[in-house]
Amino acid sequence: MAAARRRHGARARPRNGAQLISFFRRGRTHRDFADEIEAHLDLETDRLIADGWSQQRAQQEARRAFGNITLAKERFYETSRWVWLEQLVQDLRYACRTLRQSPSFFTTTVLTLMVAIGLATVAFTVFNAYVLRPYAVRTPSSLYQIGWRSPTSGGVSFRWDDYVELRNRRDLFDDVVAETSRFVSSDGQALAAALVSGNYFDGLGPRVLLGRAFTAADDQAIVVLSHQAWRRLYNGAPDVIGRALALNGQHFTIVGVLRPEFTGLGGFPQDVWVPLTAYAPVASPDLVGRPQTRTIELVARIREGVSPDQATARLSSFIQHTVDAPPGEQAQAFVQPASPNPFSVQMLALLSPIFAAFALVLVTACANVSNVMLARGVARQREIAVRLSLGASRSRVVRQLFTEGLLISLVAGVGALAFASVALRAALVTFFGTLPPSVAAILRVVPLDLDFRVFVFAMTASMTATVMFALMPALQTSRLSLIDGVRGTGGSVRHGSRLRHVLVIGQVAVSVILVTLAVTLARNGAAVGAIDLGFQSAGLLSINVRGEQGDLIARLVPVLAADARVAEVAATGGNPLFIRTRSVAAAPGGTSAAHPVRYTFVAPEYFAILRVPIVQGRGFRADEARTAAPVAIVSASTARAFWPGQDPIGKTIRIERPQGRPVDEVPGYTQLTVIGTARDVVSGLVVDGPDSGHIYLPITADDAHATAVLVRGRTPRDLGPEALQTIFRRVAKDPEVFEALPLNEMRDLQVYPLRAASWVGFLLGVLALGLSVSGLYGVLIYTVNQRTREIGIRVALGATGAAVVRLIVRQSARLAGIGAAIGLIVAFGGLKALTSVVRLQTISLVDARAFAAAVTLVIGAAVLAAYQPARRATRIDPSQALRADT
Amino acid sequence: MPTRGRDRLSLMQGTLDVLILRTLIFGPQHGQGIARAIKESSDHELLVEHGALYPALQRLEEKGWITAKWGTSSNNRKARFYSLTRTGREHLGRESTRWRRLAAAMARVLGPETEPS
Repeated sequence: MAAARRRHGARARPRNGAQLISFFRRGRTHRDFADEIEAHLDLETDRLIADGWSQQRAQQEARRAFGNITLAKERFYETSRWVWLEQLVQDLRYACRTLRQSPSFFTTTVLTLMVAIGLATVAFTVFNAYVLRPYAVRTPSSLYQIGWRSPTSGGVSFRWDDYVELRNRRDLFDDVVAETSRFVSSDGQALAAALVSGNYFDGLGPRVLLGRAFTAADDQAIVVLSHQAWRRLYNGAPDVIGRALALNGQHFTIVGVLRPEFTGLGGFPQDVWVPLTAYAPVASPDLVGRPQTRTIELVARIREGVSPDQATARLSSFIQHTVDAPPGEQAQAFVQPASPNPFSVQMLALLSPIFAAFALVLVTACANVSNVMLARGVARQREIAVRLSLGASRSRVVRQLFTEGLLISLVAGVGALAFASVALRAALVTFFGTLPPSVAAILRVVPLDLDFRVFVFAMTASMTATVMFALMPALQTSRLSLIDGVRGTGGSVRHGSRLRHVLVIGQVAVSVILVTLAVTLARNGAAVGAIDLGFQSAGLLSINVRGEQGDLIARLVPVLAADARVAEVAATGGNPLFIRTRSVAAAPGGTSAAHPVRYTFVAPEYFAILRVPIVQGRGFRADEARTAAPVAIVSASTARAFWPGQDPIGKTIRIERPQGRPVDEVPGYTQLTVIGTARDVVSGLVVDGPDSGHIYLPITADDAHATAVLVRGRTPRDLGPEALQTIFRRVAKDPEVFEALPLNEMRDLQVYPLRAASWVGFLLGVLALGLSVSGLYGVLIYTVNQRTREIGIRVALGATGAAVVRLIVRQSARLAGIGAAIGLIVAFGGLKALTSVVRLQTISLVDARAFAAAVTLVIGAAVLAAYQPARRATRIDPSQALRADT
Repeated sequence: MPTRGRDRLSLMQGTLDVLILRTLIFGPQHGQGIARAIKESSDHELLVEHGALYPALQRLEEKGWITAKWGTSSNNRKARFYSLTRTGREHLGRESTRWRRLAAAMARVLGPETEPS
């Protein structure tokens, strides 16, 4: 009987569903069933009357014998296989009605979740695009890149002839494709071009959107566009096939556009693909003629049945006669999966802090919504208790609350996808807008599409969120005792508020962590940006050679020096701020231990063009540069380290051979005489600060050690992209073999990751902080509501407004304080651990001011959250509060 | 207690189904008639709560063992008449065998009727 009653309550409106059920039941309605029972009772009564019972007693007896009529109806109802569907519809309808009644609750929870899930979706989209997305080619797993290594050297670059030779190795490979990529100029724009062998598309099999891809038979001047380039250059015009595209001044005919999923074999998306043989005449140095340069990468599709190890073994003789291993060393072949971003544990470990930050925001948002739901659940205790006492089963009540959560999370999930796509676009625009211009011009990102994986992720995240935020309050509330619930003095209130306190504390802790991180990053970004480089980078252009340099530098420098627009020019063996640490084993003459010291070959003009003063002695003379004389200029730090307190001029430096140390071998240099000292500069990573030591050796532009050029125009505008193109074209047919970058932008580029990370950190931190403020606010408002009577009594007994405010603020401060403490400990521990891994001179990860800022912010937030509840508490009218229903 | 009630019900279910099917062997019958018939044919040993009969009838109908049609009873009252289908008859055959074997086995295990000592 008890069970029957309970069930009855759960379906207080069976007729509502009866129509739906009957639809599935081919005619048998609830009404029909009721009629049958009615008929039964009549028949039984008739029978009993026939047996001699009185009318009234017969009716009673018939009913008694029948038992519980409602129960029978219940059973009938339950036999339907569609009950769950109908109950779901009921639950959904009820949920919609409930949510419509409290639009502000609905809006805030949906918005909170939407933003959090949307952000997580953005993070996942980037991850998906770069890591998860497989090659959009035929059976990517059989593609391997061929390379070689020896004890001190190695590489993946080959000659065209090597490709021709390997292409015919049918015992090992089904196909071998050759590729070399470079930037080419197209009417002043730089395009990322892949020069590929004719069998490239046949061998890899990416799908074509428009026109056709080229084949091994094509060696005319034709070009295939990437989807992105097609959209960017031609606005996705469908009639692009047959048009001409200028590449380094030569016209190429567009024959096809690829589908968006294929962007090339490397991690860097390509704009155009050109037959390598067709481009070779434009290229300088020549790619297919004589002498051939080693710039071509080879990707092979290994035959079925051949293992990578077998392929490696059988390639060894090829590698040994092909590559120039350092003398006395044996070169060995290797093959590696050609995937651009192999999905690995290291990769995940590297990315985990970023994902942790995004996940923390998601968790905070869920905690917040959970908290609100919990508070709502407590407020709805009476409603739930009434439903329970009317006989609703607990599982049904939980399901009802769960459905509400599901509805919220579904709406939020769909909203999150929209939010994510907008946010991604905004992020990309911001990204390209804030990057150093010369980098933004050539940087390409792979298409960041919201594909089905992202959709699945967003929906999974939102479902998980549902479980997190809806189920807990649901279980919590449905556990309440009936009597307490109906009376409105929930028995589980104490337990519920403890859980909510824990949630709020967690939120505060997370926001402290994120804010600390953001402030740390921002301060370090600013600090790195403000580092004095020791030289004047403004107005200086750095020119490097892409690929093999040959005599390009030797020919470029005189052309630059003769140009009227050029004020100063200097050849170098590597420009400052380009992250290349080249060290040599050096020791002060006469002593024993040699240490790695950074070294650079520089033309005599180097110090002048950088405005680096020679603080002692003199600079290089032209004749010293011409003869590569064994003289050196050392940095002030080297002078101090080698000869503390002495005059370094005239002292000697001994250069040792590497002998296993990670330093360069510099043939011909064994002893150097110091002729001057230069001021310390930052020549590597800006975050590393000024060099701890530096030895400069003299060269001219003709020297083989000259690999780069520094040039300063007469005015900053003199050496624009067009001017440079014309100058470069005087030296090489293909001007894009030279890469010109303003030195200032190299510095910006180095600082950029720190700045970007701090922006993201701030965004997440502010979001988390906002969430914890609203979480705190919710708890406090709830407390005020719960303690209205108590506060009323206090006021009646003479408590001042200030005392009431103190009461509320104290609670806010306690929650925020505990949260802040936990957050500080975690942030401190995490950053401390990071410091032990990352050793950077100019970066201080444990930054007292960052912690102070975070704590200040959180205290501010706690006060902010307490303001409104405290005001409400002071307005409590004791006469009303005391009369309030309990 | 709901759980114990559910146990008993599932134990009863098979029994009631067989009883209903067996009753319908003699021709179409309405619910009240079936209840009466079970009571009488079992010498008043088996008391079927009438209310439990109808969900069982509904279940059998959905399984396709019986069909139902509204008709008029002998004393001119509207009633829903149930009749056995071919699959219902087959099911009854299988179930009857099973029940007889079960009853015989139980009887063997329990042995000749003796007073508990």
